[in-house]
Amino acid sequence: MYRFRFVLFRPLQLVPVLLGISAITFVLVRSIPGDPARILLGSRATPETIAQIRAQFGLDEPLWLQFVYFLKNLVHGDMGRSILYKSEVLGIVTDRIEPTAVLVAGSVLLAVVFAVSLSALAATHKGRATDHLVRMFSTAGLGFPAFWLGIMLMMVFSVRLELFPVSGYGDTPLDRLHHMLLPCLTVALALSAVLTRNLRASMIAQMASDYATAARARGLPDRAIFWRHVLPNSIVPTVNLLAINIGWLIGGTVVIESVFSIPGMGQLLVRAIFSRDYMVVQAVAMVFACASVLVNFAADIATVAIDPRVKL
Amino acid sequence: MKFAWKHALLAAGLMLGLAGWGADRAAAAGTLTIAREQDSTTFDPAKTILAPDIWVLTQFYSTLVRSDITATKILPDLAESWTISPDGKTYTFKLRAAKFSDGSPVQASDVVFSLKRVRDMKDAPLRALFSPLDQAEAPDPATVVLTLKTPSPPFLATLAMFAASILPEKAVTAAGDKFGEQPVGSGAFVLREWRRGDTVVLERNPNFWEPGLPKLDRIEWKYVDNDNTRVLKLQAGEVDAATFIPWNQIKQLQADPKLNVQLDNSTRLDHILINHSHKPLDNKLVRQALNTAIDQKAIVDVVTSGFGTVANSFFPLNGVDYNPDNKNYAHDPAKAKAMLEQAGVKNLKLDFVIVAGDSSHEQIAVLVKDQLAKIGVELNIVKLEAGQQWDALVAGDYDLGIMWWLNDVSDPDEKAQFCVSGDPENRSYYTNYNNPEVSVLVQKAAVELDPAKRKEMYYKIQAIAKDDVHWIDLYYSPFRNASRSNVKGFVQDPLGRYALETASVE
Repeated sequence: MYRFRFVLFRPLQLVPVLLGISAITFVLVRSIPGDPARILLGSRATPETIAQIRAQFGLDEPLWLQFVYFLKNLVHGDMGRSILYKSEVLGIVTDRIEPTAVLVAGSVLLAVVFAVSLSALAATHKGRATDHLVRMFSTAGLGFPAFWLGIMLMMVFSVRLELFPVSGYGDTPLDRLHHMLLPCLTVALALSAVLTRNLRASMIAQMASDYATAARARGLPDRAIFWRHVLPNSIVPTVNLLAINIGWLIGGTVVIESVFSIPGMGQLLVRAIFSRDYMVVQAVAMVFACASVLVNFAADIATVAIDPRVKL
Repeated sequence: MKFAWKHALLAAGLMLGLAGWGADRAAAAGTLTIAREQDSTTFDPAKTILAPDIWVLTQFYSTLVRSDITATKILPDLAESWTISPDGKTYTFKLRAAKFSDGSPVQASDVVFSLKRVRDMKDAPLRALFSPLDQAEAPDPATVVLTLKTPSPPFLATLAMFAASILPEKAVTAAGDKFGEQPVGSGAFVLREWRRGDTVVLERNPNFWEPGLPKLDRIEWKYVDNDNTRVLKLQAGEVDAATFIPWNQIKQLQADPKLNVQLDNSTRLDHILINHSHKPLDNKLVRQALNTAIDQKAIVDVVTSGFGTVANSFFPLNGVDYNPDNKNYAHDPAKAKAMLEQAGVKNLKLDFVIVAGDSSHEQIAVLVKDQLAKIGVELNIVKLEAGQQWDALVAGDYDLGIMWWLNDVSDPDEKAQFCVSGDPENRSYYTNYNNPEVSVLVQKAAVELDPAKRKEMYYKIQAIAKDDVHWIDLYYSPFRNASRSNVKGFVQDPLGRYALETASVE
């Protein structure tokens, strides 16, 4: 019953979070100096056209009133109009969710596969050459900037070996998968470096624990001990680490989307900030906030599923 | 324990398997794929001033007249011929038989509608250029009569610009606010698909009026904002052409036999704004000293890798009425120092406002700081985010600042009005430069119907502005595109329009 309530009510937390985020973004983005109308019109602007555009987008109203309008429209499912794209914000933003979601999900998937295999390798070969190699990788992986790594992967896999497209998002689902592999790999390399360090350490700790020794004494094969007992026990902190990093990951997509020209949220956000496209910034921030909350929620559920000792 | 290795191998094998189907390379003949540095925001010609919008939307529309590839002559477009009354106020255009891409005929009423629309639309960025237009009438479906409030020699060039694109009245009215996403015109291409942030797909307009054109069946504009990625895509053959090749990669691409680097003359000028209302910058001698201290050649060599040209006028290189012999300042630090002393200025400290993260700006700032230090002027480099820098310039909150200009119109009037006429709105591009002699000349030239006299006036304006140092001209720079060698005719006119109707892929 309690669990049921948790699953049902936890998403309700989204409401205050979104309200808070929208209020903060509303004030923050409008307090950056720079007038959207003036930026849009550039050097050829006449005060008359600037005033016209400001009025058209309600920018001449007091801030609190603009916020009231914003909330009122939001209730009706209207995110407003983009001053830069001269179109409905909702459509512009929802089109961008899929590429970023694919990028983040793909990166996490690859990173988990890498991290589990690498740390399993390292933990089972502790102190030997393989272990040192893995540890070198996880240190190096943290050090390379993503944009550099992305370009290097492009040069090797796309230009030299011609295995993957250099950039873009593709048309069919299969084509998209093909396009997204390199960008996901770029993010996954950095992310798995973080996860591997953590996972390797907790695997080694679990392998030395009493229950593992007891299992070994009863004659359970190493393999079974490792996959059935060590892995589930050591993965809980890593799942939480992953959830904490999701914010960093979403932020990181900005760079990757630019390098690989993926039409995602990050790319949209950057252009919107530079153009002071307030409504678009607002909408993207809310989507990111939703994503963060949902991911943390999913991580909580996953923790419970993996570790029966944890109660909700 | 071998199992983990097996898993790792499996994962690697899976990845290679996925990579198995090779990347799609070498586009089909008749399709031109272009990687560009910016994404479009709208295709409504009246509502935008952004280059990435204009360069795509000009493919969708025709205008009454158009400028030639050097942007110095006006040629017929939808109008087969035209006459201008002796008083310069009445223009009569004869339209050719042409169709919009939706199959409806281009009628005089559409022309009247389009021109009134851009003139009267309150948020049209360039509506001021159409203010000379008083009456527009369509006595018959193939004749358009435009009456101006005053004679206006620049008006024909204004009609050749993107904002004066001829739109079908019916389709515009039906689409309302959505017209910018569903453009209909009588240009060489039509919009097939627009995925924001990704691709704009154009297909040939089967109803295009010019026989045999366009040569291409399809154009794909891919948005690739990262400079390195754009070049890599071109090198890998994933795109046929790429725009805005970084200056420092041009040489390398020129050496590649599979690629052509196309450097087309542009109307772009990069310059340093001077705030004349900040003392002692109101003193002409001080401004002349600053200009004399600046080594334009060194800046061109570093910033544009030598592909730019030292600017000797605020008029665009080889543009209409540009004076190639306009007298420029010779770089002479000793003389500049003496000039400052003569002006009685000591320990001059100036704020130089630039855009943070813009590598050209940062290079210019470092060079200028060093060059001015040699005459004892201390430069404080203020790096601001682009929108903030723009705000600072408009508010007059700067001493020196970097800016640039690209013409919208081939006629020099627009630039002269904005940059030196001292009108109270733009205050000579926010420099507060105001020389009554120049102001009078600019207004006279605007209505002078004799081209020779007009040219003389513009030569004089260029000379006085240079002598006054209204701002410091830095350099002209070409458009820099590169394409695979099987692409022919991928060129840009000096205003930035790509002549894609005559481009082809072999």
